[in-house]
Amino acid sequence: MTDTLVKLPQGFALPEVVIEYRDVRKQYGEFVALAGVNLEVRRGQVVCLIGPSGSGKSTLLRCTNGLETMTSGEVYFDGMPLSKDPRKTRLIRQRMGMVFQNFELFPHKTALGNIMMGPMTVLGLSEEQARTRAEALLAKVGLSDKAGNYPANLSGGQQQRVAIARALAMEPEVMLFDEPTSALDPETIGEVLNVMKRLADDGMTMVVVTHEMTFARRVADHVVVFANGQIVEQGPPEQIFDAPKTTRTRDFLSHLGWDG
Amino acid sequence: MELNLSAVLDSWRFLLSGLGVTLLLAAGVTVLSLFSGTLLALGRLYGPRWLSAVIVFYIDSMRAIPVLVVLVWVYFALPIATGLNLPPFWSALLSLSAHLAAYVAEVVRAGIQSVRPGQVRAGMALGMTRAQILRKIVLPQAVVRMLPAFGSLLSLAVKDTAIATVIAVPELMRRADAVAGQTYAPVEVFTTVMILYFIVIFPLTRGIDMIYRRISFLGRS
Repeated sequence: MTDTLVKLPQGFALPEVVIEYRDVRKQYGEFVALAGVNLEVRRGQVVCLIGPSGSGKSTLLRCTNGLETMTSGEVYFDGMPLSKDPRKTRLIRQRMGMVFQNFELFPHKTALGNIMMGPMTVLGLSEEQARTRAEALLAKVGLSDKAGNYPANLSGGQQQRVAIARALAMEPEVMLFDEPTSALDPETIGEVLNVMKRLADDGMTMVVVTHEMTFARRVADHVVVFANGQIVEQGPPEQIFDAPKTTRTRDFLSHLGWDG
Repeated sequence: MELNLSAVLDSWRFLLSGLGVTLLLAAGVTVLSLFSGTLLALGRLYGPRWLSAVIVFYIDSMRAIPVLVVLVWVYFALPIATGLNLPPFWSALLSLSAHLAAYVAEVVRAGIQSVRPGQVRAGMALGMTRAQILRKIVLPQAVVRMLPAFGSLLSLAVKDTAIATVIAVPELMRRADAVAGQTYAPVEVFTTVMILYFIVIFPLTRGIDMIYRRISFLGRS
């Protein structure tokens, strides 16, 4: 789908592109949130989007599954452009899990009920099938003992882990994380990042908007730095964190107190 | 002043059957106004623009007209204007429900709009349709959030039935009026009526408040 500058050896192929952003622009009145973003996410990759607040990274993430409309440009998922047809958009959303900054668990459902919601209403699973799937996922995020708890009786970190399980219950091909640890108490950030790390190790394709530089450094395959609605630098984490090429990246990292 | 309690005691069956009519009317008004008020709110929020304009006009006018005027109009003017001649009980049921539905619509709308937009986004991200999101995510939370306001509406539904006395619906107030007139004991009879209304309504509103305190977390996103 794209021309690579480097000539690759025969028989070696990069994994296929799952998400492609082509010249994505978003404007709110006078304010330019995204000023033409081009980016590729390949299968199995963990891509971390970093940059100052308001630099457009969350907006780009929300454009991925159509929660935000673009002013112009295209997003391709598995080669299909994101459509204006709501039915096609829903089909694409089913294949992308999303985790929000404020968890957005359904307060009127238990942890188990939250996870069962998608499979039952969207995939048409029976209650029993959905329950089996939900129980397995709760175990996976280490919360089997909280199945009957309502979100009001879960800590922030636990809520976010349930939210990850809820997204996984749709068996998505891609997981989108929108600042998943920004609303958490420092002591519960680790448990959420651990779950995400394990997910990455299992080969899940992930796009993560984050301020957790240690996580990006350790887990990401590809790091993308945003400023003022544009990508100012992208590359493997070693490049971004150890040998940033642009002053914008250096400024941002030093502002965070990052010293490699 | 000497109390003539026999005025009340001698006609307690008569008064109590009046209370029965009051409760029946109130129950009917509650069900009808909840149903139509919810439809009005949904139409206003999700319907085409012309429909929401019509509904807003309806809600505004109902809130600007005294319920007594609506009642009297339905009973005395509607038959002449349209030829539709409703007996007193049905006239009361129709007019009280039509009036209260406007208030229900406002409560339902506020409840729906108070659910965080992030909840809708969470449903969308799962691939749910708008209707599924409304039914399975927004409405259940909105209902919980509306409970305290519903408590007041419910008490209004019971209290407003008292004005049906002017079109001779044989409810509690009408019966009390009759007994007071025959026995010349208005103090005893109307005090009894006050207490009866209180006994019915007080536990209703208190009970709903108690339920709300127990389950408010179900609507807290």
